[in-house]
Amino acid sequence: MPEHAIDRTVLPIRRLPFAGVVNRTLDGCEPDWNQAKRPMPPEDAPNVLLVLIDDAGFGNPSAFGGPIETPNYTRIANEGLRYNRFHVTAVCSPTRAALLTSRNQHRVGFGLVSEFSGPFPGYNATLPRDCAPFPRVLQENGYITGGFGKWHLTPDDQQGAAGPFNRWPNGLGFGYYWGFLGGETGQYDPLLVENQKTIGVPESEDGKPYYLPDDMAERTIAWLHHVRAEEPATPWFAYVATGCSHAPHQVPKEWSDKYAGKFDQGWDALREETFARQKELGVVPADAELTERNEAFPAWDSLTETEKRLCARQMEVYAGYSENADWNIGRILDAIEEMGELDNTLVVWIWGDNGASLEGTLAGTFNELTTLNGIPLTVEQQLALALKHGGLEAWGGDQMAPHYSSGWAWAGNCPFDWGKQVASHLGGTRNPLVIRYPRKIADAGGLRSHFTHVVDIGPTILDIAGIPQPDSVDGIEQEPMHGFTFADSLSDAGAPERHTQQYFEACGNRAMYKDGWWFAQRLPRIPWEFDPDVLRHFGPGAWNPDDDPIELYYLPDDFSQARNIAADHPEKVEELRKLFWEEAEKYDVLPLLGGLSSFYGIVPPIPKESKFTYRGDIQNVPAGMIPKIYNHSYTIAADLVIPDGGAEGVIVAEADHLGGFVLFVQDGRLKHTYSMLGVFEYRQESEAPLPTGEVNVEVIFAADAPKPATGGEVTLLVNGQPVARGRMEHTVPSRFSGYSGMDIGRDNGLPVDRSYADKLPFAFTGTIKQVVFDVAPHLSDEEKEALHLHAQQALAAHGANA
Amino acid sequence: MSDETLDVLIGVYLIPDLAKEDFDGLIKLIEDKSVTSDGVVLVSKDEQGELHVTEAGDHLGRRGATVAGGVGLVVGLFSPPLLAATAAGAAVGAVAGKFASHRIAHGIGDKMDDALPPGSAGVIAVYDHADAEGVDKALANAVRKSAAQIDKASAKELKGGLEQAAAGLAS
Repeated sequence: MPEHAIDRTVLPIRRLPFAGVVNRTLDGCEPDWNQAKRPMPPEDAPNVLLVLIDDAGFGNPSAFGGPIETPNYTRIANEGLRYNRFHVTAVCSPTRAALLTSRNQHRVGFGLVSEFSGPFPGYNATLPRDCAPFPRVLQENGYITGGFGKWHLTPDDQQGAAGPFNRWPNGLGFGYYWGFLGGETGQYDPLLVENQKTIGVPESEDGKPYYLPDDMAERTIAWLHHVRAEEPATPWFAYVATGCSHAPHQVPKEWSDKYAGKFDQGWDALREETFARQKELGVVPADAELTERNEAFPAWDSLTETEKRLCARQMEVYAGYSENADWNIGRILDAIEEMGELDNTLVVWIWGDNGASLEGTLAGTFNELTTLNGIPLTVEQQLALALKHGGLEAWGGDQMAPHYSSGWAWAGNCPFDWGKQVASHLGGTRNPLVIRYPRKIADAGGLRSHFTHVVDIGPTILDIAGIPQPDSVDGIEQEPMHGFTFADSLSDAGAPERHTQQYFEACGNRAMYKDGWWFAQRLPRIPWEFDPDVLRHFGPGAWNPDDDPIELYYLPDDFSQARNIAADHPEKVEELRKLFWEEAEKYDVLPLLGGLSSFYGIVPPIPKESKFTYRGDIQNVPAGMIPKIYNHSYTIAADLVIPDGGAEGVIVAEADHLGGFVLFVQDGRLKHTYSMLGVFEYRQESEAPLPTGEVNVEVIFAADAPKPATGGEVTLLVNGQPVARGRMEHTVPSRFSGYSGMDIGRDNGLPVDRSYADKLPFAFTGTIKQVVFDVAPHLSDEEKEALHLHAQQALAAHGANA
Repeated sequence: MSDETLDVLIGVYLIPDLAKEDFDGLIKLIEDKSVTSDGVVLVSKDEQGELHVTEAGDHLGRRGATVAGGVGLVVGLFSPPLLAATAAGAAVGAVAGKFASHRIAHGIGDKMDDALPPGSAGVIAVYDHADAEGVDKALANAVRKSAAQIDKASAKELKGGLEQAAAGLAS
């Protein structure tokens, strides 16, 4: 097909005019075989492997001086280039939206995360049709496209079997996808999707625990093999977005034990060690300064010995978990090399979608959902709960969903200050980038210090592939990509720097970069605190953003943001402040805190549906789509048929022992277990066995009051008669799990109640005709409004931390 | 209350060697007569989940095989198979303590088993209530402590006190 005949600026590529001859019969016809072909990428377009690590910092991988051994990352850096001034958006979904669309995140509705679709254009979590992702552009230009791992770009309420699927990966340019739609998943018990179907929780094989990161690498390799089995030469694009190193930090002990004792020196000393290595490697300039201790994080020496030992173990697990991710990406690279295609593959590998996560609180936590639910736990309580759930030996295993102390995240973002969510500072926004592409890179192992940003990745890939940015996709005029190609920097260290200005904003923390200057205003708030009492200081009428403390840095002279020179340059401060507001308006950043609007009374209409009925084989209802049984009274009823001889098994179960509920039959008795995030467990059970035949069972939770985390009385009923009672003093206010789903007639994944762990999934042996949730019984309008407000606040807080 | 009351305290530890450190510190206080105790036990659970009485001390601060009769107060609460693996076990077997008849073959051991995950440790101490502050400071590395009081004159209350303390760990 002659290249000049194809207009790649309008997608899908239009059918070509027929260049042959057609007669009434075949007699005398001249064929045009281009009619029988699909569009193909331009000649010499390479394969593309795009890798994105989660929740990691500039100072984590050894390739950038960090303490975590990343031999494969180092290999790609040494055979390619390190970029030491590459930037992300400081939060998960926003970085992914910006990466894949090449537009600023607010402009495509992702000022915050997919868990919260807000009422403003910059925060609706709905990718617009006029900003088609670059994978779609590659796909329409003939690339074979596949994605693996974390997605986090489908609205929370659209992740179920009913779709819609146009904002699932298949709808956005991925011919194949295998992974998880939310912001996180368990590594041992993930809830996975393949293309447009939820495929459930994988089961272990050969007596070994299932481990998602390993499987993900194998799935990617298998896909590459299948592609090449049928398409020997067509370029492919593979997007591999690891769940690592997001919480829950889970990795087999053989990985974490490699780091035994490596972090006993603590985070203060680790920062200094990392900084020295960074200078030796040259990824940090020789004249750079290590930013000063941030008082938000306790000095290591101030910790008790128990805290030190626990925290050290937390970092050992995080390091092993991260090294395993490097190993698995290495397996994919090895497979590509074995296929003889590595040198024809553009490898783009970003170590972290935001800075390392500060969301583990000061002590770290055995269950990250406690933080995401806003459960205030003291350091002492965290230690006791860590012990309750298995102690140091269990950290990294499947019985915890842990997150390390915020101090380690701060150290992981060395030499910068702050971290995830804090878009005003490099700790949240600057991450390692390495690129390997020997066809363009002559100085393998070189360093590039061009200011680059995640929105530049797409334009750079398209540039190298020889594919133009489209003017139109699906008949919809496209907003030009906001990023800039830096393809010429691969071959030319002196290539001009095109990305000269960029705004940053996340959760009210904001910055304006221009020509080396960095203006910053950080919301005076601790990132992991989403207490309404804290946030109300930033509400309507109470907050003038211009009054927030001002910082100014000149990065060419101050790589790490160690010297605030705002006081010396008032004119520059005013210039960049003004520019920020202009950019904020242009790209839908406004209103600031639009992603947290629910904290300020701006909430969606109350849902009309309060009754949910489940019939048939319903499994793996996504965590964000289960009936909202939080903070008020509710009932769960089931119509059963119990055969002669009795039945056992799960009637309905959500999530696991670290947060969830289950109604089940065991030893003939009706039982109910409720785990308040692993902090408290409540159990009720009937004394008499269930009768046979048609049986109605019910659990009634009568809340003390419709309020967050309310206590209340539980009653179990059989055929309308109470058979057991109990009290639940505290309940889950926002969400049981970040990923684990709800099942009817079984308990997939980890059990809610360990008493049936040896019988998983403990499928019900009788018949379940239906399970009915009534989630809003007997509330006044005022109570409904109050609870709805809380629910939205909790969702926003959860989302910001996701 | 103080002169007539004994405290029964269970402390649980994330880090076994910190439990040992605290145990040693408490034994020293007993030796120095800063704390009046009727017995202290250090227990640990290995990585395979087996619970062991690692060490025991008596009312004089003596430990292990050198311990005489007083060891029975606390050590005697554990079932013989558990004690058999320890040096203290031999002593207990040789000299019946004054509370030996109230040995709880299963209850407290089971509760400790529940409270301690593999790789952790615990300290159980029985001491005069008047020394509670000193003991509390000595067991500084415990991530959780639970105490109950019993009447000094009534050894029968020991079981109840221990059960009460153990129940406190579960709350």
